[in-house]
Amino acid sequence: MIRVRFHGRGGHGMKTASRILGTAAFLEGFRVQDSPLYGAERRGAPITAFTRINDHPILERGIITIPDLVLVADETLLEDPLANPFLGLHAGSLLFINSPTSTQAMAEAVAARHPTPARILTGDLTALTLEKIGKAQALSATVGAAACKLAGVIGMGALEKATRKELEELGLPSPLIDRNLEAALLAFEQTPRVPLASAPPQPAPLQGLVVPVYQPPARGTPSVAAPGNIILRKTGGWRIFRPVIEYDKCNQCWICFVRCPEGAISLDEKEDPHIDYDHCKGCLICVEECPTKAVVKEREVHAW
Amino acid sequence: MAIEHAYKKLKEISLEEFILPGTSTCGGCGGLEALRLAHKVLGKNVVFVNAAGCFTLLALFPFSPFKGSWLYTTMASAPAGAQGIRDALDLLIARGALSIEEDLQVIVLAGDGASYDIGLASTSGAIYRNLDFWYFCYDNEAYGNTGVQMSSATPYAARTTTTPAAVLTPEGTELPKKDLFEIWRAHCPPYLATVSPRHPLDLARKFEKAKAFKGPKLFIAYSPCPTGWHYDPGQTPEIARLAVETGLWALKEAVHGEVAHTYIPKKLKSVEEYLQAQGRFAHLFHPVRQEAALRKIREAITQYWAPYLRTMQNAK
Ligand SMILES: Cc1ncc(C[n+]2csc(CCOP(=O)(O)OP(=O)(O)O)c2C)c(N)n1
Ligand code: SF4
Repeated sequence: MIRVRFHGRGGHGMKTASRILGTAAFLEGFRVQDSPLYGAERRGAPITAFTRINDHPILERGIITIPDLVLVADETLLEDPLANPFLGLHAGSLLFINSPTSTQAMAEAVAARHPTPARILTGDLTALTLEKIGKAQALSATVGAAACKLAGVIGMGALEKATRKELEELGLPSPLIDRNLEAALLAFEQTPRVPLASAPPQPAPLQGLVVPVYQPPARGTPSVAAPGNIILRKTGGWRIFRPVIEYDKCNQCWICFVRCPEGAISLDEKEDPHIDYDHCKGCLICVEECPTKAVVKEREVHAW
Repeated sequence: MAIEHAYKKLKEISLEEFILPGTSTCGGCGGLEALRLAHKVLGKNVVFVNAAGCFTLLALFPFSPFKGSWLYTTMASAPAGAQGIRDALDLLIARGALSIEEDLQVIVLAGDGASYDIGLASTSGAIYRNLDFWYFCYDNEAYGNTGVQMSSATPYAARTTTTPAAVLTPEGTELPKKDLFEIWRAHCPPYLATVSPRHPLDLARKFEKAKAFKGPKLFIAYSPCPTGWHYDPGQTPEIARLAVETGLWALKEAVHGEVAHTYIPKKLKSVEEYLQAQGRFAHLFHPVRQEAALRKIREAITQYWAPYLRTMQNAK
């Protein structure tokens, strides 16, 4: 069995990428299973999706804790404890990171920060996606294609059919599907073939039943007694673009402050706006709404 | 009660934040934008009762963005939860355990699925009992939290995951949006209003005005949802502006059942501008224009506004 885990942010299309891989493997005659992790997934928040590929029926269920192949759509996720892409990597597994950084430089950076037995490979799928599709975050086709190549058992024909099928189901207009297909085939070609080694034995399933015990509400209900402590949670890593204020153009009109849904823009005593980059999710409402164009956007650079 | 703020200028909006950043709602969430603005008017003495939905992700164990209290209820029973909290507060006040100054406003937070569908019965009960509470429905026109399924607030011809544009249903959603404003109004609550985050002063004035009423104070907030409606998050205010300018979202209030529009567009913009800005309506234009569906949308708008525009013209 090949166990593949995808890590991305909501909006990257990792659920679709896992489906493209699943459908392509199905078209090649395999048994497959694909599913996203249901949770607090939101545009920008860490997302996980899974695909299992096998030549006989798959009895395993649930999340993949010991993966053979992990694909990371956005390198900031390497640092995100909620995503935890390093979970369960073993010497036979491969960690693919979408990044402009070279494989060697990335391997060194990872070794210094998150030592892992897995082999590392990088590829700049964002550049390809931007060039062919025009949207940096529309990564489902290119990451799906890289996964197909790395899974090692899928040909270009199946990839093409699967990509078309999955994107049609999402209701994408056909010119956009064509651009995605072109990008997918290029991603498939540019991704090298790296043999996957088989995984060490998976943990045995739980034996027996766990009987739930009643707890009174004071113990059995989660409660938070620290008002406003969500400020400790940083959502700045969700950004793909960063809004930057050019103060010489700002006329202190308050519009960016009023329109920011997060309350991540505050005004100082001179009524100059300040962006809280720890929490700004990069929705870019301020960039769109500033009447004097004093808020501009810059591509986030995610190097360590 | 004297009106504290007239909210004539943007610069009257409070600088204090009552919902702190770090929540898990999507970047560009129009519902959060509306709630943040409303909370600035309501101030700190509030307790929220939240029906399951996207806003339950505002508080994410072990974190809370609120400076005050928040209770999570099942989807259908937030107004019942509000009743319990109101009763408890009243008992504490009667016993002298809580001073009037420390009293809290009880506010239901619920999405359109909870408000228009599954929680409608418990809301009807609470309004009927004249419960002293606020209701903030953030209407993102679908079940957002579970991946954008159709609700009875989904407008005609919008695509959701359960109403795809398909051979038998080329227009996607076949039924028109339920008129919750009128359903609530039939109960004759003291105050009822629609708001939009793109009209922060209109929104602030309505919340300020509602403070004078005891009993149900009900709000439906138009809440553009980049994730469910398929547009870039930065467009949230523009989508909201178009909804109002095309006449699709009427800004109005009803005091003891008497309806007044708080903003009437001088000339309605073409609704196609609104529809084309969102992926959920893309199938109305590609691969072929669905003229019949577009006509139906235009006609519904004309029909809604005809009496008001006529009254306006007569007044001239
Ligand atoms: C009785 C019940 N059915 C289903 C659910 C699962 N559920 C959780 S949130 C949600 C969506 C709620 O939609 P809506 O009220 O429109 O709020 P939104 O998610 O759009 O914020 C659903 C169906 C539930 N919690 N309770
Ligand atoms: S799905 Fe829509 S309503 Fe829900 S948090 Fe995201 S933007 Fe807001």
